[in-house]
Amino acid sequence: MKKIYILISIISINTIAADYEPYESSYEPLPYTNTIFKNANIYDGDGKEFIETDIIIQDGKIIAIGKELPRSNELITVDATGKWITPGIIDIHSHMGVYPAPSVKTSSDGNEATSPVTADVWAEHSIWTQDPQFALALKGGVTTFHVLPGSANLIGGRGVTAKNLQRNTINSMKFPDAPHSLKMACGENPKRVYGNRGQAPSTRMGNIAGYRKSWIRAKSYLSKLDEYEAKSDEAKELSYKPTRDLELETLAGALRGDILVHNHCYRADEMAMMIDVAKEFDYKITAFHHAVEAYKIADLLAENNICAALWADWWGFKHEAYDMVQANVAIVDQARNGTGCAIVHSDDEIGIQHLNVEASKALSAGIKAGYDISKARAMKWITSNPAKAAGIYDQTGSLKVGKNADVVMWSKNPFSVYALAEKVYIDGALAFDKASGLEPNSDFDVGIINPSNRRIEE
Amino acid sequence: MIKHKILLVLSLIFFNSSLLEAKSTVIKNATIFDGIEDSSYNGHILIEDGYIKKISKSSMIQGDKVIDVKGKIVTPGLIAPDTEIGIVEIGALNVTRDDESNIYDIGFSIHSAFNPNSTLIPWNRSNGITSAITLPRNTSSPIGGLGSFFILDSKMNINSNADMVLIGRLGGSGSSSRAEMLSLMDDILSFGSSLSKKDIGSDLTIDEIIESSSIASYLDLKTRDVKTLFRLFDENLPLIIKSHRASDIINLINLKKKYDLNLIIMGAQEASLVVDEIAKNDIPLIINPINNIPNSFDELASNINLAQRLEKEGITMMFNVSRDHNYHLIRQGAGVAVANGLSYGSAIKALTSNAAKVFNIDKRGSIKVGNHGDIVIWEADPLEPSSLPEKVFIDGIETDLTTRSTRLRDRYTKDLEKPNTYRN
Repeated sequence: MKKIYILISIISINTIAADYEPYESSYEPLPYTNTIFKNANIYDGDGKEFIETDIIIQDGKIIAIGKELPRSNELITVDATGKWITPGIIDIHSHMGVYPAPSVKTSSDGNEATSPVTADVWAEHSIWTQDPQFALALKGGVTTFHVLPGSANLIGGRGVTAKNLQRNTINSMKFPDAPHSLKMACGENPKRVYGNRGQAPSTRMGNIAGYRKSWIRAKSYLSKLDEYEAKSDEAKELSYKPTRDLELETLAGALRGDILVHNHCYRADEMAMMIDVAKEFDYKITAFHHAVEAYKIADLLAENNICAALWADWWGFKHEAYDMVQANVAIVDQARNGTGCAIVHSDDEIGIQHLNVEASKALSAGIKAGYDISKARAMKWITSNPAKAAGIYDQTGSLKVGKNADVVMWSKNPFSVYALAEKVYIDGALAFDKASGLEPNSDFDVGIINPSNRRIEE
Repeated sequence: MIKHKILLVLSLIFFNSSLLEAKSTVIKNATIFDGIEDSSYNGHILIEDGYIKKISKSSMIQGDKVIDVKGKIVTPGLIAPDTEIGIVEIGALNVTRDDESNIYDIGFSIHSAFNPNSTLIPWNRSNGITSAITLPRNTSSPIGGLGSFFILDSKMNINSNADMVLIGRLGGSGSSSRAEMLSLMDDILSFGSSLSKKDIGSDLTIDEIIESSSIASYLDLKTRDVKTLFRLFDENLPLIIKSHRASDIINLINLKKKYDLNLIIMGAQEASLVVDEIAKNDIPLIINPINNIPNSFDELASNINLAQRLEKEGITMMFNVSRDHNYHLIRQGAGVAVANGLSYGSAIKALTSNAAKVFNIDKRGSIKVGNHGDIVIWEADPLEPSSLPEKVFIDGIETDLTTRSTRLRDRYTKDLEKPNTYRN
């Protein structure tokens, strides 16, 4: 009794004493499962392939990759003969949590479609952490995902990058030190949503005017902020800090480059215009999303150092998605002597479970179009390139010594439809293990069909 | 003059030989998954006058044109059982949608809306789909809308089997109880089963019958609706009901028994909970094997191993996709099903012969003598979405695999020195 009391008081003291910032990540990994994988085939996520090579993960990090690394008693040995190891898969476009399953009105929280500019909202404040989709994505090898608000609005709000380690608060899933993102959307969606209500924007020119008006306000807010921040401490006391404005704080963050701009945009001509808007207001577009027509302006994207996050083959559901080319990903990848940044994304609760196969389709289309692209390079599309676009490449996205041990072991070459993720590690801790049946189940999955079972239990 | 005669003779010879060339084709050294057997066999296929004339183990087989496929996999043309091919060009563009009626209900037919020039046809064909069932959107009543079967050969002279399936739905709707939906379905079927050949003899009699039936007049049925209901029973027309929840599936099985329906259940995400009943009553299912999302409270039991569970019980299955346009992705779904325990042979049947059997599609869906020459030669494994058809034959004729998508690809990867609008 006494012991428990002491324990509780320590915990409460710690909670109070901790340097706790609101909305900050409180993520902690699972207990490390320090492991040596023997004899694995490896795609490192940076474009290299290693055959029959060992890899050691320890205390959350990748500590060695090489032939015949020494076993030790502190390491679990996994015989990876015939298996493939890749970095954890990263989905740069997910709506898990904000459009959870079941897809019902009561938890459909991805679009604050009440005004065309809602830069003040944050996707993380909508995420339902019991969404059963997280665990399904984990079984598809996804260790990190970036959740965006929907595309009803010109400026839809902040996105968030999370570790796929399901917890019951979003802060405990947020990827430490990952920048926020800003979701913007071109084209049909905003003009349809607001045009149908007889308000602006109802046209593409209305869309562009909407962004520009917002950036003008943001610029002026930012200059006031800069002016205030440049003052000496004494001068600051004599003046007022610009009043906080949630919307303009986000936009100013994007202008400063602290918040990465992710822009939903299908058509080539619109992407070119958005590049102009970015030039006019001096901000950087990190990635265009969906970008069905990216192949038409692949060089322009490469020159401007903008990634394109793409599907392998979706088309035709909207007019702006009509000009689908399956080699889109490859054409973007190969632009300007292979300096393009191509990403395969899902935007879909099923697609996120099979990003390896989506990349495989895109690769095979690229080869058919005449490009010489290796599987090792194509692996970048779902690992290091999305890591760069999420601003977390220094921590994850490739198997480099010193980086986080976000690792997937596949039953066979991951570019096959038959490949299954057998083991998934997040920060060097085993989070999914097919052989032992270790897998997370959300609260939603518990006892919902048969009270004694989990949802998908036989 | 003599010159002209020679030219004429020459051109006649040429003309004849080109005709002959189209007349018979031999596909040599094929690894044949015929859609009937569980495993493949090696053989040579002779296609003549549009039909499979001979399947031989001996390479002595003769034909006007010989294609040596060197051991590549050859399958029947795939049949997609649940599509909008030909009636929806762009999803969110209403002027290109022909899948809905404001007037007709049970008897609404999309057959005459089919556009053989739709870009979806070459796209799906180049991915191995040679024929498809096109279905309308669900009508307001729980049974309503007729689907048709189309050959995807892009000919203006449309080769089809019109109005060969009726559709319906049962489940959580958000507007009224599923109990109401089920009762309404029961009432409609009761009314339909009471119709005799005499009843539908003239439109005038049908009008009288509608007036005297409370359910028919409440639903504001038209003569074509009543004729369709008569056909449902008279021809034992296949009836596809979209439904997921286990308890709904049981209710549908009871309706099948009561009215002796030719019932197919589509969706069926909770089928695994009631496999015994489905198997016992011999109900074929159309499932999306890649869909493991509990996307509604009717689909809580969604599980990636559904196809494997159905196979274990001997249930006939076919595949669909959750998104429009890429109906060929039933291949990817089949691949995922195999990765999760379904046998390869069953997966091939689910893509080919099962649909032919269930929907009485004559002489298609399998490679056997006497069937139409709907055949696909694959680069590699047809269940790997990264491998594509090398050649696609429909009715024995090799089809063009160019698509708008490959044209656009070439336009932006070739002749780049010209402005894009002056390229091919």
